[in-house]
Amino acid sequence: MAAAPRPVYLLQSALLNAAGDSAEALHGPAPAAQALEFAPERLGFPLAAPRLPAGRFDRKLARSVEAQGLRLLHCAARLGDALDALGLAPERIALTAAIPEVDAPSPGWEAVAAMREQPGHWLAQWFAHTPPLHSLTLLNSSVMAHIAEALACRGPMAGYCGQDSAGLDALAAAMHAVAEHRADAALVVSASPNLTPALFLREAELEDGGVDFRPGEGAAAWLLSAEAPAGRRVRIAGFGRGYVPASAEVESAARDCLARVMNQALGPERLSLGDLAAVYSEPEDVLLGWALGRTPVHGGARPRVGALGASSLLTDLAYALASPEFSTLERTAYLLFLNRSYTGQVAALVLALEPGRTA
Amino acid sequence: MNPPRIVITGLGAVTGFGFEWQGLWSDMLRGRHCIRPWQPEGVSEGSFPVRYAAPVDWQRLPAYLRSHPALAGELERRTRFGWLAASQALADSRLGYAHWRDVAVLAASGAPQHSLDDMQLAFADGETAPSWKSVMRHAASVRGDASLRQSSDRLARVIADELGSAGPVMNASSACAGAAQAIGNAFHMLRRGECELALAGGADSVLNLDTLGALYLLGAASTETRRGEALCRPFDAGRSGLVAGEGGGFLMLETLEHALARGAKPYAEILGYGSSLDGYRLTAPEPEGRGASEAMAAALDDAGIAPERVDLVNAHGTSTPLNDRAETLAIKRVFARDQHYRQLSVAANKSQFGHLIAAAGAPELLVSALCCREDWVTPTLNLDEPDPDCDLDYTAHKARHRRVDIALSNSFGFGGLNTALVLGKYRSDAS
Repeated sequence: MAAAPRPVYLLQSALLNAAGDSAEALHGPAPAAQALEFAPERLGFPLAAPRLPAGRFDRKLARSVEAQGLRLLHCAARLGDALDALGLAPERIALTAAIPEVDAPSPGWEAVAAMREQPGHWLAQWFAHTPPLHSLTLLNSSVMAHIAEALACRGPMAGYCGQDSAGLDALAAAMHAVAEHRADAALVVSASPNLTPALFLREAELEDGGVDFRPGEGAAAWLLSAEAPAGRRVRIAGFGRGYVPASAEVESAARDCLARVMNQALGPERLSLGDLAAVYSEPEDVLLGWALGRTPVHGGARPRVGALGASSLLTDLAYALASPEFSTLERTAYLLFLNRSYTGQVAALVLALEPGRTA
Repeated sequence: MNPPRIVITGLGAVTGFGFEWQGLWSDMLRGRHCIRPWQPEGVSEGSFPVRYAAPVDWQRLPAYLRSHPALAGELERRTRFGWLAASQALADSRLGYAHWRDVAVLAASGAPQHSLDDMQLAFADGETAPSWKSVMRHAASVRGDASLRQSSDRLARVIADELGSAGPVMNASSACAGAAQAIGNAFHMLRRGECELALAGGADSVLNLDTLGALYLLGAASTETRRGEALCRPFDAGRSGLVAGEGGGFLMLETLEHALARGAKPYAEILGYGSSLDGYRLTAPEPEGRGASEAMAAALDDAGIAPERVDLVNAHGTSTPLNDRAETLAIKRVFARDQHYRQLSVAANKSQFGHLIAAAGAPELLVSALCCREDWVTPTLNLDEPDPDCDLDYTAHKARHRRVDIALSNSFGFGGLNTALVLGKYRSDAS
């Protein structure tokens, strides 16, 4: 008979975004949005590709990993020591990931340029100017494989590629792996997409500029464990996910979906909105406002570092948990994270912040 | 309280064999394949080094599918295949319209197809260095059916939009393990009660200059020509690399209680799912097959099934020198007790319809479900001279009639991302 599910705790995070590489930086001075190089009329929060920290990864990886992957590896590397300190067998460490598709050309820009120069021999030029391993930049699994090798994760795995909701999918998969005893710890990694025209061209409402969409570049990772930390404990208390189909009567479908997702997230601990110490969401979203009633809403990290796509949820968790109001606790505080993406995904997560046990 | 039983009640597959799973199944039992000479569009005959593949033949599209919305508008090939397969699975399940919004959608759709034409736009104004600004200036010329306008989760969303699904809607991404991961995730979600119905699977097409060129440069795709259409030969001493296919597969999964309440007839029961990471090397599987065996063992443990009860392993069987040897070792390790690996039938579906990359796990699980239902094992073609390191019973050449109560289906992704699913013959009296 399967063992009963066990609680899962968030142990440590690693971030990288326009504000810096710590959760505290998200509470510091807000970086200014910049005009995007490829579309100066649009604003965003670009980030240079980082140099990988020494020790965990071979820095030559920078040749065959896209900038978004390098940001993610930068975060994963910084959780390596905390993971090692758990002293677990590699087979007991899960790895889940939320990684966007890569927009750069698979042959590489040098090959594209060479093909233009000799159009009569373009195929030969392509093969001659594309490094064999360059194609690995196409694959999200490459980034996961680098982490699995460098941080010795050989347990359950799951990868997701989507918009904002992929972060919750990866976090939920990691949580279940630990809660259901298939792993004792899990590394959850996520990255925002590189800032390229694809971000705007893929969705008509973004291409036409009708939505004030300010994307950012960044990554976020969390280490989860079944082992409760000594001090303040952050436990995953519930989550819910749903979808508002484009074909639906949008408002009524969205309300039904939101109600169901909120019920899923709050239900396991029988919570109501009045039990929440804080809600992190999009204050301007009227539909989310309908679901949240008069509950005050924090805007999360997005106004400071931009829309981070698949890494937005994991970044928001770190942002909220670094808030001074939760540094000392007398009793359990519940935080709700609620998001609705422009692609129709609705995601909710509830964290329980529990005071550390006294000896 | 026992977790709910999860059954498969609808099947859909698009492969080189056609657009219906019934044709796929009958062709496979007859020992046929759909691998043939192939060159990418826009390339002069014989100049592309990969010469064989298992493409989808649009001539085989049945008349009743010609007005399907997947064929209209601008979508990638993989999305068209996946949407068609999902619609077939939905129709096959006979699920009433009133239930459609309750269907969760979990899809895998592989790597995006980059358009070389789009990339040329980066130099369109005479730039000497590539410029995204130039691409943006020429946005009107960007193709509608390639990566700059199509996100990888488009497949899951078009299916969900057609159903009016209230979700969850998810896009799995774990290379060639993607569709198996999507199905495994759906199975676990159903078992936990997160949803009552799920349409899960995947679609992919690497049969284009860009993606198959990348696989060629990596050394993964076979360029041999002397074998002709018999190029895909899993576990054979003469295997030389993968032979790509394209298409998609989807399965309708639901709790048994839900299925019986609406009068659905299960094809098979999903019993367990497991995954693992090699953590070994990006470009090669762990040579002893340890990661693969961890995934198989995890799936059997999840199912509560002893290895000795397994009758069939539907292998990943890529026809690459490294995978097939490592997978054989992995099977031997998992089924070592009493040398049960000697009793197993092993099959490699890729010898018949090629490697569907991110989608591979879906049609292969579909085939495994039919093996359980019909008590047949599909053949591994072209296994003329077994590799001495590959010494299992791979069901060479011809399909075999044998009882299949429990089947295990393997899908391993590039970089050492491993999955396994355990299926059981549907029995109405099982507890």
